[in-house]
Amino acid sequence: MLLIDRLSCQSKLRYINASVKLMYAVLTLALCVLSRSAAVAALVFAVNGILTAGKGGIPLSLYIKLLTVPLAFLIAGTAAVTINISGEPLDAFAVPVGEWYITGSSAGICQAFRLCATALGAVTCLYFLSLNTVMTDILAACRKLHMPPLLLELTLLIYRFIFVLLKTGTAIMTSQQSRLGNRDFRTRVRSFGLMGSSLFILAVKRSNALYDAMEARCYDGSLKVLSREYPARRRQFAFVILFELFLGGVWFWCG
Amino acid sequence: MPKKQKIVTGAYIAFAALFAVAPVSNAMHIMEGYLPTGYCVAWGVICLPFLIAGFTSLKNKVKENRKNLTLIAMSGAFIFVISSLKIPSVTGSCSHMTGTGLGAILFGPAAVSVLGIIVLIFQAVLLAHGGLTTLGANTFSMAVAGPLVTFCVYKLCRTAKADRRVSVFLAAFLGDIFTYCVTSIQLALAYPSEAGGVAASAVKFLGVFAPTQLPLAVIEGILTVVIVIGLETYARPELRSIGFLSDRKEA
Repeated sequence: MLLIDRLSCQSKLRYINASVKLMYAVLTLALCVLSRSAAVAALVFAVNGILTAGKGGIPLSLYIKLLTVPLAFLIAGTAAVTINISGEPLDAFAVPVGEWYITGSSAGICQAFRLCATALGAVTCLYFLSLNTVMTDILAACRKLHMPPLLLELTLLIYRFIFVLLKTGTAIMTSQQSRLGNRDFRTRVRSFGLMGSSLFILAVKRSNALYDAMEARCYDGSLKVLSREYPARRRQFAFVILFELFLGGVWFWCG
Repeated sequence: MPKKQKIVTGAYIAFAALFAVAPVSNAMHIMEGYLPTGYCVAWGVICLPFLIAGFTSLKNKVKENRKNLTLIAMSGAFIFVISSLKIPSVTGSCSHMTGTGLGAILFGPAAVSVLGIIVLIFQAVLLAHGGLTTLGANTFSMAVAGPLVTFCVYKLCRTAKADRRVSVFLAAFLGDIFTYCVTSIQLALAYPSEAGGVAASAVKFLGVFAPTQLPLAVIEGILTVVIVIGLETYARPELRSIGFLSDRKEA
């Protein structure tokens, strides 16, 4: 249903302690964004690629496909950062259009390059976390960080419901398509609206049924789920700390 | 000169074509790692009061009636699913709704702020739309600012006795447009233009995202109207259970 979720269940790194993975991803992400250096970003990009596609066993083709998801934003945003429209030409390039120039400076291009590198590096951190850790494990790790229990409960329930509703929604859309529900733009809009409203009705119905089921099983206002523990190994901790120190070093020396 | 013009035209066509072939042209999620650290933290801090207000209101609702917990969770999942299903688009590229406008009309802006941040976390982790570092900025534009505008416009139109469909359309449309403007300004503040500062940069970002965002806002408005009509026709008891119809006598 959701590609990333499916892959995270298959990952070979799935059973590594979630807190360690969370710590690695967040620290690396923070260093990558804080430093904004191309060297750090390139290193992070490479290491995360090796960890996710190599060690984690995520198919490389899918990994590359996932990396192109934010591409449209990256290209559009970077174009807006580099290209200026101004009365005076800047130093890197300038194309005259009437009285104005479509122009850019070399400092701007340099900045845009660093920005792209940082963003791509940061995205691989996010992918490392989401492709190798199941959502419930992330939530269990958050519980250890003492986040508000109501928020976590809500997140857990939403996570579960997403798949229920997504399945229903997709099924409705499939049946609409098989009945010429996407014949032209008007019908398509109407079909989507009908799907949305019936999805809402089904959602409310299901939430009532779920509440009844929970009530029948002694629900007293809090959800308690048993989770299996995968103890953190000392070697993994050492790897994470050494890597972060190394990244810090690269940031310090290469800038 | 003609050669240069050719280059400019070529570049523009390539740029426009980009949106046709790009895998997802989404509601405006700022990509992971795209904002400098200071801005990430600042936007997160700005969101905090709204989130706390939303959280308290949810907490009270759950305390009032435990049954509300599953209902709220279902609403959150509904927003996520509506925003992750492919919507009909004119260009043929794959686009999505924000969903938060519909949420704000149905559940109110306070609930949507908390549901919005949870949905945004799921969008970042499960769909790679947006990111963890840019969560604060995205939450502000999509879960706080947009829904607030939607809700205010909707209430305003209702008190002005405007047609229900028109008010829903205007609310969802303007909320979407506002989200898109806020995101552009967020990007512009982080990356002011070398020629003209923040204002010029904001215009650039607005221009760059206009080809995808303007049609999307119109479609989102239309779809929200269609969904709300469908709900009013078929789902009156359900709407009453979430408190959407309680203020109306005829309901």
